[in-house]
Amino acid sequence: MFDSIVDPTVGAPGDDRGRTSLATRPARLSGLRLGLLVNTKRNAADFLEELSALLESEYGVTTVLTRTKPSIVHPAPPEMLEEFRGETDVVVVGVGDCGSCSASAVADGLQLEAAGIPAAVICSDAFRVSADAMADLQGTPGYEYVTTAHPVASLSREGVRERAVQALPQIVGMLTRSSAAVAS
Amino acid sequence: MTTLEDPVRTAKEAIRYCYEQGWTDGLPVVPATVDDVEAFLATTDRDPDEVIGAQEHLNRRVTVRQAAVNAIMAGCEPEYFPVVLAAWDALNGEPSTNGGAWQSTSGPAPLLVVNGPVRQRLGINCAGGVFGPGFRANATIARAIGLIVRNGYGIKPQELEQATQGVPGRWQLLIGENEELSPWEPLSVVGGLEPGVDAVSAMLIRCCEYVDNRHTESAEAVLQDFADSLARIGAYLGLRHSTGGLVLGPEHAALLADAGYGRADVQQWLFEHATRSHAELAAAGKAGGPGGPAETDEAFPMLPSPAEIPVIVAGAANAAISMVFRPFGWATWSGRSVPVRWSAQSRPTTLQEVSP
Repeated sequence: MFDSIVDPTVGAPGDDRGRTSLATRPARLSGLRLGLLVNTKRNAADFLEELSALLESEYGVTTVLTRTKPSIVHPAPPEMLEEFRGETDVVVVGVGDCGSCSASAVADGLQLEAAGIPAAVICSDAFRVSADAMADLQGTPGYEYVTTAHPVASLSREGVRERAVQALPQIVGMLTRSSAAVAS
Repeated sequence: MTTLEDPVRTAKEAIRYCYEQGWTDGLPVVPATVDDVEAFLATTDRDPDEVIGAQEHLNRRVTVRQAAVNAIMAGCEPEYFPVVLAAWDALNGEPSTNGGAWQSTSGPAPLLVVNGPVRQRLGINCAGGVFGPGFRANATIARAIGLIVRNGYGIKPQELEQATQGVPGRWQLLIGENEELSPWEPLSVVGGLEPGVDAVSAMLIRCCEYVDNRHTESAEAVLQDFADSLARIGAYLGLRHSTGGLVLGPEHAALLADAGYGRADVQQWLFEHATRSHAELAAAGKAGGPGGPAETDEAFPMLPSPAEIPVIVAGAANAAISMVFRPFGWATWSGRSVPVRWSAQSRPTTLQEVSP
């Protein structure tokens, strides 16, 4: 009956973004090169540093590349992605703990997977909705990431370390699970 | 006429249909038809398919035509559309809108300021009750921007938009500058345009706080009152200085001008006096971190620089009341105003330009 009403959501066509297949997972992390993608949020660098120390001491990885994104809202630029592709075997991304950066962290995880690099993305639980919305927008609904309790920004270094310890098993699972870390 | 043919009933059903599609901001919208869109597009020379805004990370691109559809839905008249486009361009030109602002927990609101004769022509309020509501052009042009963000970018509250509380007046803040009662040049002239040019200036803000000072004839006392609000610790984010601005009521503006203050003098005075001590910031837990005050600091400036304190004049000359507003994050106004451009056939005639 209301076919004559113009749809306000129709603009210039977007890119066709099909479902991203996840990269093949290694059986174990020992001996692999770890990359860290920091998103500039307060405590993000500390969180990834703590994780990296745990992954090195308990799982035998070597952290070879740490990069901080130039923009909190946009996914990492192509040249940064290229660095990860050339120098790392697995990457941890985080910490999505704000309105735009949680969604952006998911976009980063997906573009790393598309480049063939297994990635684990960390978001705080307060921003699940925007992170999931981004996975939908990127054509990959159901994309899994690791959550940590919000807030992250106000934690002390000790608090950050505890969170890293808590997140570690999930991170390891996500980077090695052969069944792939995405629900169908 | 049967109940089924009742046009009012049909109109209500059409509005309900728009709600069901998720196209509204919570208030009823005006359903847009192709004819309406054509009428809006006729007011501008711009290509309907021109992309006027993009959120590449969301894979969304907004066109002129889509802006027209949303302006119709917001309740605009066709002749408002060039102002909607100028407001949109002005916002997009602000660095503050290019960093995830529309998705931010801060939930910032556009503050749109209109200069030029277009205010009288379209009935854009710049006098009493300037922050609204009650004036169609002010209310609907501001609302159109919100609908473009919602429907064009697909950024909706509690989804991709993650405002913690949001800001009262979001998508409602379009004011005319009261050039007739301002002692200083129009904001659009500060923004690089000639006097008399129709223009929109835009910034993103997080709140408005009134300053009621009908108590003194001293310009410095009134400025001190503004400085107190501008130095509010709750607005201090750390790392860098965030700023504040003023929408001066015409009485306060006249008091300052009569005492010899130009706009730049007001900015300078406020920059120098909007300060806090280390102890005051420390008492609120905000003295630490990079960019903060030294422990011996008794007068740490709370604003980044005089030029980054926007000063606008609007409202009625009936009480000495002004408004302090807070630009979003560490942003301020870019200092660039955007001219309003009509298509040749829709350009208002001289006759229409006479104030009502």
